[in-house]
Amino acid sequence: MLSLNSVTKRYGAFTALDRLSVTIPDDAYVSLLGASGSGKTSLLRVIAGFEEPDSGTVSYDGKHLNGVAPHRRGIGFVFQNFALFPHLSVENNIAFGLRYREQEPVVDPADVRQRVADIVRLVGLEGLEARKVTAISGGQRQRVALARTLVTEPRMVLLDEPLGALDANLRERMCDELRAIRERLKVTFLHVTGSETEALLMGDTVAVLSAGSVAQIAPASSLFSAPLNADVARHLNAYNVLSGKAEGGHFHADGARFPLPDHPVPQDGAPVDVALRFDRISVVAADAAEPLDAVIPARFVASEFNGSSVLSFFRMDDGTLLQVVAHLSGPPPRSFESGALYKLAFDPRDVISFTERAA
Amino acid sequence: MEARVLKPILGVYCAAFILFLYGPMIVLAILSFQGAGGGPQFPIIEWSTYWYRHLLGMTEPGRISRLPIGDSLLRSLTLAVMTTVVSTVLGVVTAQGFRTRFKGSGVVFYLVILGMIVPGVLVGLGMALLSNLLGINRSWWGTAFVLHVVYTFPFAFLVMLAIFNRFDRSVEEASLSLGVSPAQTFRRVTFPMIFPGVLSAMLFSFTLSYDEFSRTLFTSGRELTLPLTIYGTFSVEIYPNIFAFGVLTTLFSFTLLLIYALLMLRAVRSARSFKGQEEAA
Repeated sequence: MLSLNSVTKRYGAFTALDRLSVTIPDDAYVSLLGASGSGKTSLLRVIAGFEEPDSGTVSYDGKHLNGVAPHRRGIGFVFQNFALFPHLSVENNIAFGLRYREQEPVVDPADVRQRVADIVRLVGLEGLEARKVTAISGGQRQRVALARTLVTEPRMVLLDEPLGALDANLRERMCDELRAIRERLKVTFLHVTGSETEALLMGDTVAVLSAGSVAQIAPASSLFSAPLNADVARHLNAYNVLSGKAEGGHFHADGARFPLPDHPVPQDGAPVDVALRFDRISVVAADAAEPLDAVIPARFVASEFNGSSVLSFFRMDDGTLLQVVAHLSGPPPRSFESGALYKLAFDPRDVISFTERAA
Repeated sequence: MEARVLKPILGVYCAAFILFLYGPMIVLAILSFQGAGGGPQFPIIEWSTYWYRHLLGMTEPGRISRLPIGDSLLRSLTLAVMTTVVSTVLGVVTAQGFRTRFKGSGVVFYLVILGMIVPGVLVGLGMALLSNLLGINRSWWGTAFVLHVVYTFPFAFLVMLAIFNRFDRSVEEASLSLGVSPAQTFRRVTFPMIFPGVLSAMLFSFTLSYDEFSRTLFTSGRELTLPLTIYGTFSVEIYPNIFAFGVLTTLFSFTLLLIYALLMLRAVRSARSFKGQEEAA
């Protein structure tokens, strides 16, 4: 179990990690979601020992890791650019850690060969052992990077945007394989990514990193359906986040007014943020007569066709951009007229409200 | 359109430049095949390899004594090898140090670079005075050696600095994260990857030291290095045996270059991956 306690890391005037505390359980796939600049790479580097935190502690099973050299931490690191050893073959890349590590190097060549062969089979690199790492494809390099780390049996593997360098097709396949490999080896993976779909897909547990600290850590499904604050909701890229005031149990902002949920109890006049899922909104004509519980009037901007769904953008009078997703499995969505006014209707029970505004 | 005009002009210019560069050497090479009775100038009285044989002591002893270069050649080679080893090691270590910014790194940088900028004669003279003052005997392996290192170290350092500049640090971090100690990481990862640069640094150090003149002039003491010896022979009378020696030593330099090129080719072939990894990033 890895624990970080109030870890702070600054680079000059910039604070990359701000009193960050988090616990990463054993034998789990944890994904760490953060926008670029949120400090996710700094966090991995502090855990790996490439950087020392300015304050706070990093510990593993209660033992302090602060000041422990990276090569004595037993934590593997898979780099975004793979960082393979260019002068070595695939096989020698994978055998590298076993042969040359400081603690318990494997000296018996037959033993090394056996272990390398096992891991090569696990990641599916058979037949490429003698190749130069420059003479294989991106996906294969990714596997070499992974195999090279896994063969040393680290207690934890840090993956820094491991799929970022792969094309979309390959990325999906590697996602499944990463999960399968991890489950077989029972080692903890901490997978950093900027993509919310990747984070939700990969992680048993998802941690959202925002402004240098962990905004929420929860199982993927509960994180998605119940973000803890507006910041987390924004990161999930599935919620419209509106800021306003509570007034008589209603949300009130320029051009929008609708009932707030009972929990948390809205206090009159207090600032409140609400999150509304893209796919829980239906679009109705501005002059529709049927009574609606909650509507936001907005003008249509543009649509994006995504294959299985259509994402439409609307702009409220105060300039706030709202997104609406219509899945194509349902009735075919209407086409909207650019600049025309529509009513965005939704069930007020789908609204999630946050009384504590994120800084 | 422009390229069509510019290209031939540049080509001719380049050819002229190369001719100019190699002209003296070509003249030298031709004159080295002067006959026994000829002098160090045209016309060639008779084509022969007499002066080569004279150089190697394979002719009848005559009026013209052999070039006294045997010992000084050995000295210069030894000195060049010593300088190469020390400067390259220092260059690699210093450049490695400069990979992390430290306080005063700018000052240290210019102090190192100073060694190749200051006029050689002055440094040589200063060294001579200093050694007199301190009562140290001047010698090619002592005072001159120190100056050779001071002179070639900045070159080796700059070469290595350029190499480290485009070095992907994550490869070393990957090695550390596999449990490999920093020392082993340097040996197994860093060094093989910077090896082409080390070769270049060595080549620089060797050639610069091998024909160093001004710094050595006042500091080598009684036992002279090759450039000093050759210069010394000029003061008597010049015979074509010097040209013959010039040709031989040029051939030696070309052999060194060839070895360098071959080693480089091998190193670059096995490390072509810089490109591969950037592409993936």
